[in-house]
Amino acid sequence: MASIERSQVVATVARNLAEILEIDVAEVAEDKSFKDDLGADSIALIELVDTLEQEFSTTLDGFAFDDDELETLITVRDAVDYVMRAHGA
Amino acid sequence: MLPVAVDAMGGDRAPGEILAGAIQAAEQGVPVVLVGPENLENTGGLPLIVASEVIEMDDDPAGSVRKKRDSTLVRAAEAVRDGKASAMISAGNTGATMASALLRMGRIKGVQRPAIATPVPVPGGTPTVLLDAGANAEVQADMLVQFAVMGSVYATKRYGIQKPKVGLLSIGEEPGKGDTLRKEAWELLNVCPHINFIGNVEGRDIMTDAVDVVVTDGFTGNVVLKTLEGTLKAVIGALFGAFAQEEYKEHAKALMPALLPMYATFDPDNTGGAVLLGIDGICIISHGSSSAVAMVNGIKVAQEMVQTDMVGAIREAIAASATE
Repeated sequence: MASIERSQVVATVARNLAEILEIDVAEVAEDKSFKDDLGADSIALIELVDTLEQEFSTTLDGFAFDDDELETLITVRDAVDYVMRAHGA
Repeated sequence: MLPVAVDAMGGDRAPGEILAGAIQAAEQGVPVVLVGPENLENTGGLPLIVASEVIEMDDDPAGSVRKKRDSTLVRAAEAVRDGKASAMISAGNTGATMASALLRMGRIKGVQRPAIATPVPVPGGTPTVLLDAGANAEVQADMLVQFAVMGSVYATKRYGIQKPKVGLLSIGEEPGKGDTLRKEAWELLNVCPHINFIGNVEGRDIMTDAVDVVVTDGFTGNVVLKTLEGTLKAVIGALFGAFAQEEYKEHAKALMPALLPMYATFDPDNTGGAVLLGIDGICIISHGSSSAVAMVNGIKVAQEMVQTDMVGAIREAIAASATE
């Protein structure tokens, strides 16, 4: 498994989400809910997932989110944890 | 010009009416490329981008774009992204069309959320642009300002209106009318130097020349649109029902030359479809029951939007409004 720092994953998720939602990256904290706190709708979440797959395929070949598990991504932390687990952390 | 990518499998009357419209548009000089299954028949010799899957009308919009990566909708959006087509059009699942366009073509930098702009017919006048007609059920006040900026650009490009009158849909003309969202939006719109804001408008103003661009959230916009469609259908049905009565038939015959053009004005097949604004490419959303005529008109609008560089104009307008 490829190793990756959690702080790097958090920063990557936050940067991409801020770009998608056109908000300040400082607003994206790990405990924030995509929908209720940050106003992300289902399409914004898919945008994020697509972008993260591209970003992390450089550290883990073929990295992809399982479509059936997307509904478990409620908070920023959930997405970070998912990426970390995929990287074996 | 690169061809317009036509989703051959999108819509209640696909592929028959869609193909007929695409062929007619090509015969009228608009380059077209179809997106459909390998064994698609009656294509009139038009070029085909092969896609093996179809996103159905009741499929989940966002999820289906990931699950059906080889669908006609996704491949049409990719054709635009990859420089194989200049624009795309579909009469299929509206949400999935928006998701495909957004996820494959991307957003124009600075645009918070894309919006669906729908022309609403105005008897004897230029259509009013209503947005958002359904892309975003929940919005914030600053998003409505972006809708106003994008809608103004569209009204100028599509209808040649130089300083489109922008109205905020509310429940009264006075600035204080409406909920918190409308009040906040009014304050922002009123000081936005990039639009010609005329204040609040009401539902009854939409089909008049009092306003050129009406901004609202996607939930309200969609309710308005469907209400107008239903009302028009009911009124027209009642009119024709009355005219069919024996004692009025002769009078009705005399009135037909005046009434038929009006009927054509209200026919959604003639509006050229809705346009998804804020996407880095042209995407036309045609209504689900589109006929060949609707497709021809939609394809022509797509061509016009490409030729007038509507995307470039929106990019400039959004960038300018962000520097405020």
